[in-house]
Amino acid sequence: MRRLFLFASAAFWLLVLAFATSQLWLPAAVETPQPVASGEFQALSEVARHKTPDDCWMAINDQVYDLSNYLPDHPSEPEVIVAWCGREASEAYRTKMKGRAHSARADRLLAAYRIATLTP
Amino acid sequence: MSAEPTSTPTRAAAHRLVAPAAALSITVASVWWAFPQGLTAWRSAAIVAAWAGTGLLVASLLLMVREAHLARLLGGLELSYRWHHRCGVIAYLLLLCHPLALALDGWAEAPHLAWQTLDPRAQSWPLWLGWAGLLSLMLGLATTFAVHLPYRRWRSFHFVLGGGVVLGLAHVYVLLGNERLLLALLLVAALALGWRLLASDLGLAAHPYRVTQVEKPAAGMIEASLAPCAAALAATPGQFVLAAFGDGASYHGCGEYHPFTVSGIDRQGRLRVCIKALGPCSQRLQDVEAGVLVRLEGPFGSFLDDLGCAPQLWVAGGIGITPFIAQLRAQGCRQATTLIYLYRQASNAAFLEELAAVAREDPLFELLADASGEALPDVDRLLASVSRLGERQVHLCGPQALLAAFTTALRQRGVAAAAIHFESFDFR
Repeated sequence: MRRLFLFASAAFWLLVLAFATSQLWLPAAVETPQPVASGEFQALSEVARHKTPDDCWMAINDQVYDLSNYLPDHPSEPEVIVAWCGREASEAYRTKMKGRAHSARADRLLAAYRIATLTP
Repeated sequence: MSAEPTSTPTRAAAHRLVAPAAALSITVASVWWAFPQGLTAWRSAAIVAAWAGTGLLVASLLLMVREAHLARLLGGLELSYRWHHRCGVIAYLLLLCHPLALALDGWAEAPHLAWQTLDPRAQSWPLWLGWAGLLSLMLGLATTFAVHLPYRRWRSFHFVLGGGVVLGLAHVYVLLGNERLLLALLLVAALALGWRLLASDLGLAAHPYRVTQVEKPAAGMIEASLAPCAAALAATPGQFVLAAFGDGASYHGCGEYHPFTVSGIDRQGRLRVCIKALGPCSQRLQDVEAGVLVRLEGPFGSFLDDLGCAPQLWVAGGIGITPFIAQLRAQGCRQATTLIYLYRQASNAAFLEELAAVAREDPLFELLADASGEALPDVDRLLASVSRLGERQVHLCGPQALLAAFTTALRQRGVAAAAIHFESFDFR
């Protein structure tokens, strides 16, 4: 079991390292235009300033959303979603209850609250 | 410990399955409850790995509980600990797969998302909890496998594993909230950790005894007589107890629990245990004195349970004589029994005169004592002097090298594996 532990741990860190340095060894990606609704860009630091239930921005999948008006309608307990106000919430959006992703309906609904693209 | 004693093979075999069956049930229930639907393959794999790992971690905690009744149900403390180790390592492997599969899920969407999924700078405390848990498991397991670490340091690093489990469960709780199965897993984990820390490690469930007499049956070895201060443990020959010795008038005990095989049991519940100077704590115990308070847990083990009526061959190396002397003192021999007693030199041979006296008085008992020095004994010569070898049930107790040498030689002479029983006391 000791060998198995050492081998698995080494393989894990090698893969993490490979992901971390992927920009160095991947061929340069062809830039595709981002879907920009308003043409505006916002940095994560700006998103972080909007972190209250009354003024709630979130960064999800490189887009910025103002969800202040939507929060009262969200089906979960308020603290579940309020905790993500002002933050990068892509992973949380993809892993709601039991790790399941949000539905296509939720995706469409979310799009209505988009206000900007996240500054790369 | 090898196969259980022969008269109850079916029950023993069933007990051996309880621990893996319990671990499997918890794991399957967790995965079943959380089984993803409508997700990508990599995300589904990540979720299954996470829940299988969580289930196995909780099972691992359950198998770490040190309680006599539970240990008996699980086929013995050593078997229970073996499954505790296996579950822990497999859980760790599965939990390593969890973030990697999430990263691959991101990769499938766009390669740069893979690192974004893993990068702690892009995450917040619910996911940092997960990372902290995984890294704690990694550190804890790395030290668990460092068998050359001194026992006390090894044991303190082992607590890091418990911290890793708590952090991992906190990570799941923060993400999921009050879900019924998750709460059940948390309850089992809390009970198992609580029992282990409070009842076992702090000794709240231990039985108080007091040292009444200390003898030195051989060089570097003592035999302590212990009288119960309250209810006595129902120990039988071949069993061991975990004992933590406290302080006396001029003795300062190390207070750690260590396993000691019982070498004598009387009708009043008084026990005798043999302690050989093998480490710092057992070295200090060579000076233990009458009056010292001892906390005992157990009894554990079933080494000499149900000896049956088949002729016996007992092989004892050094302090491995203790279960056999306990059996002879308590019940004598009920079937033809040959004891091969091996020791380095006469000064290391505990109870030799007592054994010789039993051999003179009991026609069923034969003693073959041999001072083998530092090298392994001549196993072939010793076994050649044992009659009806193929009919005997063989019980071995001693150092690992000796057990291995005898087991190989016995198997070469046609003794069935099921007829060979041994204890190894390897709890790390």
